[in-house]
Amino acid sequence: MGRTKMKAFAILVASALALTLTACNNGQSASPGNSGSKGGDVASKEVTITFQNINPDPSTPSYKMIQQIVSQYEQNHSNVKIELDSLNTDQQKLKLKTQAAAKEVPDITIVNPAAQMKPFVDAGLLAPLNDVADKDGLKDTFQDGLLDYYSFDDKLYAFPDGNNIEVVFYNKELFTQAGIQKLPTTFDELITAVKALKAKGITPIAIGEKDSWTGSLLFMNILLRTNEGPNFLKDVLDGKKTFKDPAFVEAVDAFQELVQAGAFPDGATSIDYNAGGNIFKTGKAAMYIMGTWETGSIDASSVAGKVGVFQFPTVNGKGDVNEYVIAPGSAFAVSANSEHLQETKDFLHYFITEMPKIQFDLKNAIGSGQKMKGNLKEAGYSELAINLNELFKNVKGGDLAFDNTMNPAIAQAHLSSIQNLFVQKEDSAQVAKEHQSAFEANK
Amino acid sequence: MNVLKVPARTIAVFVLPCLLLYTCMVFVPILVSVYCGLLDWNGISGAKFVGLANFERIFTADPVFWPSVKRTMMFAVFSMLEIPFCLLLAILLNRYVRKANTLVTMYFLPVILSVVIIGQLWKTIYNPASMGGMLNGILMSVGLESWTRSWLTEPQIAMYALYFVSLWQYFGYHLLIQFTGVQNIPNELYEAAKMDGAEGFKADRYITLPLIVPIFKISMVLAFIGSLQSFDLIWVMTGGGPAHATDTVSTYMYNMSFLSMKYGYGSALASFLVIICLSFTIVINFVFKRIENKVS
Repeated sequence: MGRTKMKAFAILVASALALTLTACNNGQSASPGNSGSKGGDVASKEVTITFQNINPDPSTPSYKMIQQIVSQYEQNHSNVKIELDSLNTDQQKLKLKTQAAAKEVPDITIVNPAAQMKPFVDAGLLAPLNDVADKDGLKDTFQDGLLDYYSFDDKLYAFPDGNNIEVVFYNKELFTQAGIQKLPTTFDELITAVKALKAKGITPIAIGEKDSWTGSLLFMNILLRTNEGPNFLKDVLDGKKTFKDPAFVEAVDAFQELVQAGAFPDGATSIDYNAGGNIFKTGKAAMYIMGTWETGSIDASSVAGKVGVFQFPTVNGKGDVNEYVIAPGSAFAVSANSEHLQETKDFLHYFITEMPKIQFDLKNAIGSGQKMKGNLKEAGYSELAINLNELFKNVKGGDLAFDNTMNPAIAQAHLSSIQNLFVQKEDSAQVAKEHQSAFEANK
Repeated sequence: MNVLKVPARTIAVFVLPCLLLYTCMVFVPILVSVYCGLLDWNGISGAKFVGLANFERIFTADPVFWPSVKRTMMFAVFSMLEIPFCLLLAILLNRYVRKANTLVTMYFLPVILSVVIIGQLWKTIYNPASMGGMLNGILMSVGLESWTRSWLTEPQIAMYALYFVSLWQYFGYHLLIQFTGVQNIPNELYEAAKMDGAEGFKADRYITLPLIVPIFKISMVLAFIGSLQSFDLIWVMTGGGPAHATDTVSTYMYNMSFLSMKYGYGSALASFLVIICLSFTIVINFVFKRIENKVS
C-alpha cells in the first residue's frame, strides 16, 4: 500500500472517530440543554418518566392496571410521557442492582420490603416520599403498619402494591378422592392427609423449589408455629436467640417429616416457581402453600371453583393459626437522582391513589395493601376470594419472609440449606449450626 | 517476516483500533474486577478495602469453593476427552462415507440451538417418570425400573447429567472442526503413502495425526476454556442446586455477586477464574508444542 493511500486511510479513520465523538456529545448535551430552559413555563415542560415494573405479562390483571393508569395520566398531562420498562421479577432485581451500581436508578422502580431494600436506602439512591404520603391523606388509605416495612428512620421510601398472607390452597375434588373429610388443623393431620393423597397417587403439595425461596416460605410457616409466635429472626438479629434455639431445630425436624412423607413432587428442586404453581393449577396436586397473590391466577386456571383455602396448621400443638407469614408486597420507589423528581412524585401520587379502584374493578383486589371499598360479592368475586377476604379480617400479625428479614448473604445460605432438605435427610442440629455460622460470618 | 514490506507505523495504525477496543472491553474490566476482589462491597454502596481477605476466605474457609473447582475441572476433563472421539469419527467419516457433509451438519445441529432451549429440552427428558420424563419412561418400558433416577436432583448424579448434555451439544462442534482439518490434508499425501505401502490406520498414524495436531489443539483449548466458563446450561437446568451440588466456579460467582450481593467476593472468584484460564491455556500450548515436535 502506498504512502498516499495510507494517509487517506488514516484521515478516513480519524474523521470517522471524530464523527462518532461528536455524535456522542450531541446525545449527551441534549438533556442538560432541555432542563436549562427550566425557567420558562413549568406546565408545558416535556418530561419523560421511566417506570420500571414487574408486570410484563399482558394476560395478568396487574399489567392491565398499570397500562390503564398510565394512559389515563398521559391523557390528562400532555407534557408527561411515561416510559414503561416491564421485566420479570428476577430480571428486574438484577437490572436494578446493575443500575444502582452505576447510580442510574430509573425514575420509578420496584423494591422489596425491609432488609432487601436497605442497601438501596443506605446508598442514598431512593428519595423519601413522606410529602407524597401526606398529600390528600394518601398515607391513610394503606392498612395500618404496612408502610413501616418501607420506612427507615421515620422516612418512607416506597408504596407497596399489596399485602399478602400465606395460606394453604387445596383442591376439594382431590381431597374427596383421597377420602379426607376434615381439613388439617394440626401438623399431624397434615402429614396424615399427605400420606392419604400419596397413597392415591396424587401429588400432595405443589412446589417449585428450583427458585429456592418457595421452600423457605413454607419453612417459615412452620417456624412461626414452633416459635409460638413471630419475631424469631428479629430475636436472632438482636442477639437474644441463635439458630441453635430449640424452636428452629424443631421446625427443621417438622419440615423434614413433610419431605419424608413424600409431600412434594418428584424432582422438586428442578421445577421453577411458575411450573410448580401449574402442578396445582392443572389439578395434579392437592395443595399449594403460597401467598394470596396467587388467588387471581388460580381463579383464572382450570381448577377455578374447586379450590378452597385453610390456614397453616399448628405444629406439635404450638402456634396460633391466625398468625401468618406475611408478604407486604413489592413496592414503588422513586430515584433520589431523578431528573424530574417533582413530576415523578406527582405521577406516583396519582398512581397510588387510583390503584385500589382499578384493582378492584379488575378483580385483583385480594391482598391489596390499601383499604378496600366496595362489596366483593356484588362485584362478582369468586367464593375463594371472598373466603380469603374473611381470613384477612382476623390476621393477628406474623413474620416476613426470611429474605426480607436477613441480609442477602445470610438469606442465600439459608435458601440453599433448605433446598438441600428436599434432596437429602440432614441432622437438624447440623442445619441449625450451618445457619448460625452463616449468620455470624455475614452479619 | 520480511515478506511484509510495511513500515512498523503502518502496522501500528492497523492494529491500534482493535488493540484499543480489546484493552477497553477486556483488559481494563479484568483489572477492575481484580481490584473489586479486594473490596468488601455489596455492589451498591459503601465499599470497604479489605486487602486479600476475600481470597483468604475463598481458599481456606469456603465450603462451596473447592468442590465447585473440582466440578469445573471435571467438566474440562470430560470435554477434552471427547475430542479424540470426534477426531476418530471425523477420520472414519472422511474415509468411508460419501457425502459426509450432510451427516456432519446433522451432528452440528445442537450447536446452533440456544443453550436455554437445550437446557429445557434435557430437563424434560431427565424429569421423573411421574412428570413424563422420557429417559425414565424408556428405562421403565424396557424393565430397568431400578435404574430410574431423579437425574437432576440427586446430588451425586446431577452433575454427571449436566456433563452429558454439554458433551452431547458440543460433540458436533468439535467434530466439524476435526472433519474440516482432516479434509484439508491433501489427497496426494495419501496416494504417495499408498505407493509406499501405508494404508488405513497406518497412513493415519504417519500422515493424518501429525498434520491434524494444530487443529486438535484448537479444539482442546476451546473445549477447556468453554467448560471453565460453563454457566448458562447449568443455570437453566439446575441453577447450581440442589444446595450447591451442581455449582461450578462461574455459577458460584454469579450466586455470590448478584444473589448474595457480595460483589467483592464474587469479583475475587472471577479473578481466580481468569488466572486459571490463562495458566491452563499456557500449559496446553506448551504441551502441544512438545507433542507437535514429537509426532512430526
